[in-house]
Amino acid sequence: MNIDYSQEAPAVAGRLTLAEIEELVAKPLDSRPDKKYFIALSISGGALMIGAVCLAISFYYGLGLWGNNQPIGWAFDIVNFVFWVGIGHAGTLISAILFLLRQKWRTGIARFAEAMTIFAVICAGIFPAIHTGRPWLDGYLLPYPNQHHLWVNFTSPLLWDVFAVSTYFTVSLVFWYIGLIPDFATLRDRTSSKIKKTIYSLFSLGWRHSSRHWQHYEKAYMLLAGFATPLVLSVHTIVSFDFAVSILPGWHTTIFPPYFVAGAIFSGFAMVVTVLVFVRKIFNLENIITMDHLDKMNKVILATGMMVGYAYGMEFFIAWYSGVQAEQFVFVNRAFGPYAWAYWIMVSCNVIFPQLFWVRKFRRSIPVMMVIVILVNVGMWFERFVITVTSLHRDFLPSSWAYYTPTLYDFGILIGSFGLFFTLVILFTKSLPVVSISEVKAVAEGAQPSHHGGVANA
Amino acid sequence: MSENFEKQPFETNPDPNYWRSFKELYSDKETIEKKFHEFEKGVTDDFDPNENLSGLSRRKFLALLGASAAFAGVACSDYKDKGEIIPYNVKPEEITLGKPNFYASTCTGCNSNCGILIKTREGRPIKVDGNPDHPVNQGKICSKGQANILNLYDPERIKTPLRKNYNTFSEIDWTKVDDSIINILSNVGNKEIAIITHKINSPTTLKLLDDFKSAYPTSKIYSYELFNDSIRNSAWQKCYGSGNFPLINWNDAEIILALESDFLGADENRIENSRLFAQGRDVDSKKFNRLYVAESALSLTGINADYRLSIKPENQLEFVLGLLSELKNKGAINTNLSYDVNLYEFAKRNKIDTKKVDYLVKDLADKKGKSIIYAGNSLSEDVHIAVNLLNELLGNTNLYRKDASNVDLAPISTYKEFEELVNKMKNNQVAAVIHINCNPVYHLPSDIGYKEALSNLEDVFSLSEMMNESCQMSKYVLPINHNFESWGDYKTRSGIISLSQPVIMPLHNSRQMEAILITWIKKDSKSYSDTLYHDYLKSSWMGNNYAKYSQSISFDKFWYSALHNGFISFPENNNFNLNFNYSSVNFGNIQSNNNGFTLVLRESYSLGDGRFANNGWLQELPHPVSKITWDNYAAISHNTAKSLGLKDNDLIEVDVAGRKLRIPVFVQAGNADNTVVIELGYGREYSGIVATGVGFNANKLLSKNTNYSPWIYTNAKIDKVAGKYILASTQEHHSFDIPREQDLHLKRNIVVEGTVAQYLANPTFIKDKHPIEHESVYTPFEYKEVKWGMSIDLNKCLACGDCIVACNVENNVPVVGKDQVLKSREMQWLRIDRYYSGMPEDPKISVQPMLCQHCDLAPCENVCPVVATTHSPDGLNQMTYNRCVGTRYCSNNCPYKVRRFNFFNYRDHFRNGYQENPVFALLNNPEVTVRSRGVMEKCTFCVQRISDARSEAIRQGRKVKGSDVKTACQEACPTNAIKFGDINDTEDEFYKYRNHELGYYSLSELNIKPNVTYIAKLRNIHSEEV
Repeated sequence: MNIDYSQEAPAVAGRLTLAEIEELVAKPLDSRPDKKYFIALSISGGALMIGAVCLAISFYYGLGLWGNNQPIGWAFDIVNFVFWVGIGHAGTLISAILFLLRQKWRTGIARFAEAMTIFAVICAGIFPAIHTGRPWLDGYLLPYPNQHHLWVNFTSPLLWDVFAVSTYFTVSLVFWYIGLIPDFATLRDRTSSKIKKTIYSLFSLGWRHSSRHWQHYEKAYMLLAGFATPLVLSVHTIVSFDFAVSILPGWHTTIFPPYFVAGAIFSGFAMVVTVLVFVRKIFNLENIITMDHLDKMNKVILATGMMVGYAYGMEFFIAWYSGVQAEQFVFVNRAFGPYAWAYWIMVSCNVIFPQLFWVRKFRRSIPVMMVIVILVNVGMWFERFVITVTSLHRDFLPSSWAYYTPTLYDFGILIGSFGLFFTLVILFTKSLPVVSISEVKAVAEGAQPSHHGGVANA
Repeated sequence: MSENFEKQPFETNPDPNYWRSFKELYSDKETIEKKFHEFEKGVTDDFDPNENLSGLSRRKFLALLGASAAFAGVACSDYKDKGEIIPYNVKPEEITLGKPNFYASTCTGCNSNCGILIKTREGRPIKVDGNPDHPVNQGKICSKGQANILNLYDPERIKTPLRKNYNTFSEIDWTKVDDSIINILSNVGNKEIAIITHKINSPTTLKLLDDFKSAYPTSKIYSYELFNDSIRNSAWQKCYGSGNFPLINWNDAEIILALESDFLGADENRIENSRLFAQGRDVDSKKFNRLYVAESALSLTGINADYRLSIKPENQLEFVLGLLSELKNKGAINTNLSYDVNLYEFAKRNKIDTKKVDYLVKDLADKKGKSIIYAGNSLSEDVHIAVNLLNELLGNTNLYRKDASNVDLAPISTYKEFEELVNKMKNNQVAAVIHINCNPVYHLPSDIGYKEALSNLEDVFSLSEMMNESCQMSKYVLPINHNFESWGDYKTRSGIISLSQPVIMPLHNSRQMEAILITWIKKDSKSYSDTLYHDYLKSSWMGNNYAKYSQSISFDKFWYSALHNGFISFPENNNFNLNFNYSSVNFGNIQSNNNGFTLVLRESYSLGDGRFANNGWLQELPHPVSKITWDNYAAISHNTAKSLGLKDNDLIEVDVAGRKLRIPVFVQAGNADNTVVIELGYGREYSGIVATGVGFNANKLLSKNTNYSPWIYTNAKIDKVAGKYILASTQEHHSFDIPREQDLHLKRNIVVEGTVAQYLANPTFIKDKHPIEHESVYTPFEYKEVKWGMSIDLNKCLACGDCIVACNVENNVPVVGKDQVLKSREMQWLRIDRYYSGMPEDPKISVQPMLCQHCDLAPCENVCPVVATTHSPDGLNQMTYNRCVGTRYCSNNCPYKVRRFNFFNYRDHFRNGYQENPVFALLNNPEVTVRSRGVMEKCTFCVQRISDARSEAIRQGRKVKGSDVKTACQEACPTNAIKFGDINDTEDEFYKYRNHELGYYSLSELNIKPNVTYIAKLRNIHSEEV
């Protein structure tokens, strides 16, 4: 390999000037949406409507319309919840952890990934609320003072979920917004429309690009990154407690917290790649979101995929090593029982196909990458399905075993959650800069002049 | 306002102890009047500081404001009249609000006529229990008797007399109907009036029918029972000359051999049989009988067998005679009779384990006089004679009960008599047919041609509670009172006459069946009164039963004490002849030559002969063996299924001599090869919305010409036909081929079993292997006072399911319907788990009642985010329905999976709101919340009964004791397998069971400390096997 380590690989390709960068990112916000945009929006909006209708009917008649049954109290509802929380992990990881690790390449994708985090957490947050038998009483899950002296149960992991997810959402939102402030100011300065100017002025909080502003901003951003970093680990750890704290074989496993976090990053990155591949093409951002970016993300996918694979193997080993009959049965039953199909979809999508990313050519090939990341998304959804449903469907008492078959309503609500996610993503692309203008400018060539003359040598 | 007060007399001071002035003391009128005016004049209505400002006074203004707010509130709210609760204007003397009343009565669900206690609340019956004083059932009542309460409130009962116009029915007056019928019956000339009824068990009804005959001399009574013991009794009469087959002292039997008999299951008198049988399986007295069952299809009796042999019914004769020969060879019996049958060759031919046969022969020889061989009602007369002979030779006749016997008041009619009736109907010799609470169109074999003959007859009258196939072909359909609205007396047992009394006014415009007949006898429609039959019954008792007693008490006293007790008992001679008539022993073909399939038709465990088909609780009660609900099916053996390429839910066509039926297949482990077993009682064409179209009408396969017995047909054919029909089972189908799924109930210590020999050798062998206590890192909560617990003796549990229905009734458990059972969402709080082990040809069966174990360290409790399920200081795991939001996390974390979730509002979801009919509101137990949609529920250990006992104890100024409370399941259990009480009370009898040496906790290694102790099942098998 012929790599020059004396030089930092450029985070932005194409030798763009700062003005070009600004123009490139802000341009979509200046123009009216075209026909394609509305087609995309109507498709995702349609999916959202399907979900809304299915949900409304479920509210009217009861959860009986779903496939859930007596041993399988949780199915698509919780599978979707865990799936979306997982998707929401890439954003904060990229923006916070990679920021602290001074990974400059994160700048091109951080904004988008963060936005996806927020949208995914919105999708995720819906499910715990709608999965209850009496959703109109969901307020009981909040610890509010009341004359009945009723309090919530702080030993229940479901309650921890409520706090973990809401904290994560709040912090992600604040972090995202702080990052947006300089860009709002840039947009304010660019626009001639009066309405836009008012809105941008409002959100830019009087940002005037002064050094003092920058100084404060950098400090705040750093602090928030430090604050968000443990959340990346805690949210999915706590989500995994929903399962790990129970006594159900297949759920009651100490490996769950790291395994869930790895899986979440795995699926989150896969989703970010899935969407970014389209975004960079549509908005001509190939120079800002470069092939190097995708390559790096694919490497993360490969690494986390292997961690997940290790966890799959370790679960089997521990089941055997524990000597607990029920535990052993659950895992053998996963692989060879009635839900073997789901298990093998999971294993092949999450462990086998990502191995192709060992090859540099595949990591840098858009079509190959697309197939693999979509398979990873599918596989990670099935991982949650396997954990939730196959553990429940055959637990301690063989007399209570049953098979779970989802209904149209289950699928409808799943489609609806994708509809909501993509609707929000599509709206986002036309209303906010999909790439952080200020941060990309900061890592553009020549933005940080050095004594070694980085610009001249490049 | 003031005018009112002026009118009141104030002569004296109303309260002379307090006075504020002399004026008041001396009752000055003015002063006293002033007391009634809070404000001086002018302060209120007349007070107006600014005359021109407003014409409204402050009070008027406030009144108008209040009124307009109230009007606005009413007008804007969606006010619906939710029904009114009106307190008693004149309270009946015997009713205390909130306290139940119990009335003794008699159940008419089957011919056992058990004594019942009906619990009523504020005048409405809500629960049925056995009458503890009744000598037959001794406080227990079967699932049908329990669920009968639902039939009372069935919204589809016929509400008023109906007249048929072409194909529709229209309502008609009682007087008009009576007039019309009396007119028809009075003008029949010499044509016959056929009265068709089920078996008559009421002496007074019988007398009334005699009166009817004298009023209408051409009338003739036909009675029938789809399932009866006529073959058993005719064999008995051949062997012993007279009388009926005696009752058996099951409790004294050490060896029981049941041949194709379900004496613990679908057969008559099963409550008493079960009780006596279970007395012979007692861990306290360490007394264990040994049950051998030889049958074609795995039955409830079969699953309780220590040794089970699969034998086709037509081979039973050879088997019995083989036993006889073998016992004779062994010198165990002494007889001149000899048969050319070799038991071991027979066993080999029929793939029966010769070891089992060896044990059987040995046991019968060793326990002469202490064993009993009992043949099922459906077997041929020859088998019954052979069984009587063998019992006689073995000296087992001393197990026949001498203290009581069954009584038939009138013989039931044979199919031949019905054929004659049909011929007469065809020849226009029958003027009218009266169906009395029966359904011959559905029940009689089609080849008798009753239905066709009936369709050509105009004057058909049906007296029925519910619409049925026979009503559908009647000119008039007359609604009759339900059991609980009726008077009656019943005699099915020597020395006892049971009484039934109404516990509620007729809900609809129905009449007592007998009163209708009396009206007709009197030939005057106006002679009817509500007390007509009551008076008749009383005068009949005055003449007959009262005479049996010494006349020292007045009749009224006698009558009321009989009503109070629910029955009278008196000495009745019951000596039967026990001289065996050897000349009766003359068998035809001993060896059967059937090479085809044998069709066995059995009575449904839950629906009887179809009478209870419209009862949702019974339809949903899982079959005790297959756990299938809502359908009947053709059960075939594994080998037969394999050879015909059949799987569960495949449709087949059963063909017996041209009579055909399409029905789904269920592969039942333990069935004899080449037999098809179908339960009757399903496939109703005209019944209520619950029953109509449920299951398959296998009555179509019945025939008047039987080649073996009315319920068993040899040379049947079965063919696979296209299509599938999905059966709904509450348990997943057991797979015999996957090794990792075998015997999990034993591997996981869900069911713990041993043998009697092991127990006798080492009484603590279960405790040694399955310690109750495990170490815990937490200091356990101390339960200082009462702590509730349950123990279930698996040796006594027969898996009948009576407890399930009792629980349903007590706790307002809704019916969910087949679609929801298919989705595994049944709501029963208590279930009986059934596990197989071994080979499908000869499975070992374990059963276990499973309900909330009320664990001390309940895994459900700590995961509920809203604290809707909590632990009480007396050890109960409680559900707070109001707080539950329905996350279902508790159910996921429950290792016993006993929690039930309301996925729908099932009262609304099942059959389009059928259970939301206002009549059903009367059925609900007012002490138990009716749960809404989206709420988790589960067994509460009948907490309402605990609360009731506690408040009663407080009232009496003492502490509540464990024995004060009986749960519904415990009350219903015919074998007393369920015990309930205070774990901390060392004095209580319950303590013994809670801490029994055979006691274990299901899944005890989870260390969640359940409060249900199971007493391990002991199989009484030969110790050589261990």
